[in-house]
Amino acid sequence: MREIIQLIVSFTGSLGFAALFNIHGKKLWFAALGGCLSWAVYLAVEFVTPSPYICGFWSTVAITLYAECMARVHKTPVTVFLVSATIPLIPGAALYRTMNWMMMRNWTNFQKDGIYTILFAASMAAGMTLTTIAFRMAWRWMYRQRRM
Amino acid sequence: MTKDEAEQYLYYAMTIGEQLLCCGAEVGRVEDTIRRICLAYGASRADVFSITSSIVTTIYGENFGICTQTRRVPGMANDLGRLDDLNQLSRFICEFRPKPEEIQRRLDVIRNKQGYSFRTQILIYAVISGSFSVFFGGDLNDMIASALIGIALKLFEAFVKRGALNSLLTVLLCCGAGGVLSNLTVLMGLGHHADLISIGNIMLLIPGIAFTNSLRDMFSGDTITGLIRCMESILLALVVGLGFTAANLLF
Repeated sequence: MREIIQLIVSFTGSLGFAALFNIHGKKLWFAALGGCLSWAVYLAVEFVTPSPYICGFWSTVAITLYAECMARVHKTPVTVFLVSATIPLIPGAALYRTMNWMMMRNWTNFQKDGIYTILFAASMAAGMTLTTIAFRMAWRWMYRQRRM
Repeated sequence: MTKDEAEQYLYYAMTIGEQLLCCGAEVGRVEDTIRRICLAYGASRADVFSITSSIVTTIYGENFGICTQTRRVPGMANDLGRLDDLNQLSRFICEFRPKPEEIQRRLDVIRNKQGYSFRTQILIYAVISGSFSVFFGGDLNDMIASALIGIALKLFEAFVKRGALNSLLTVLLCCGAGGVLSNLTVLMGLGHHADLISIGNIMLLIPGIAFTNSLRDMFSGDTITGLIRCMESILLALVVGLGFTAANLLF
């Protein structure tokens, strides 16, 4: 039940951010769907491994693929779909907690949450960068095949 | 192409690059767009360097020699709708090579395009706040309280921004107000968990996307840009933390 609610609010949350970033029309809904997808993949990978970083990594791999495909379908920059789709994964709450622990001078928790924030953001960034490179290479290869 | 024409076309290429950067495009995209436009108009070589706050371009060509222009880019916001429009425009320019007047006309159209109205923006703030309050484990009461505070924050932000304060100070004031309001709603009995109500509002203000993107910039080779954005987002997160913690200490 908790998962279903989370999926619904991850959709509305991404929808809100996509609208905040001034995306209009049909693209708005596809961007929000990406947010829902990212959290669905995160929850699915969570069954296999307990590590949040691995979940984050595979989830970003999935949505980067989604964003690259959507960008080609709608002829827009990849960023439009990618930024809105990563919204549920963004370690914003963890970043806030880190700063909060610092203000409280609770250095043990500061270290714990700080490391979590950096590693999670890094695993997301790695997922995006690797998938983008791989996808573009595959795309170029396919393009060349078709021309020959 | 004469030297004057080359300068003029380069000026428009730089304007498009500058606006792309202002809309939150990646540095790589900005450099690529300017380079493509310059090459489309017949430059034999174009060297573009860009960081978050500046763009430098030098073009070389047989009939106009060497031209260099620089731009200081003021601020940055996420406006992906405009980013999309500018990207379409740059594709159009590369394909059809229009005259400067045509580029200027299309740029004006993009600049004058209306975004979402203020009322819709208020609704957007409410939806985001409510959604993330539930996402992190809040119940229905928390969602309603968080959405109401989201509306209040948007109004407050519009009011504070009119005073043209320093942007960090604006965020600090918004966070302080958000923290106080979330505790007040719990005292009034509307919400149940002050921290879960706040988290919905925090997601609006915390630079989580900027932080993740800064690491992405560093991974893809734009180290300077990545470092600048990383420092900016940590500073902003510090201010957000300060605002909410100070407000929580009052109660």
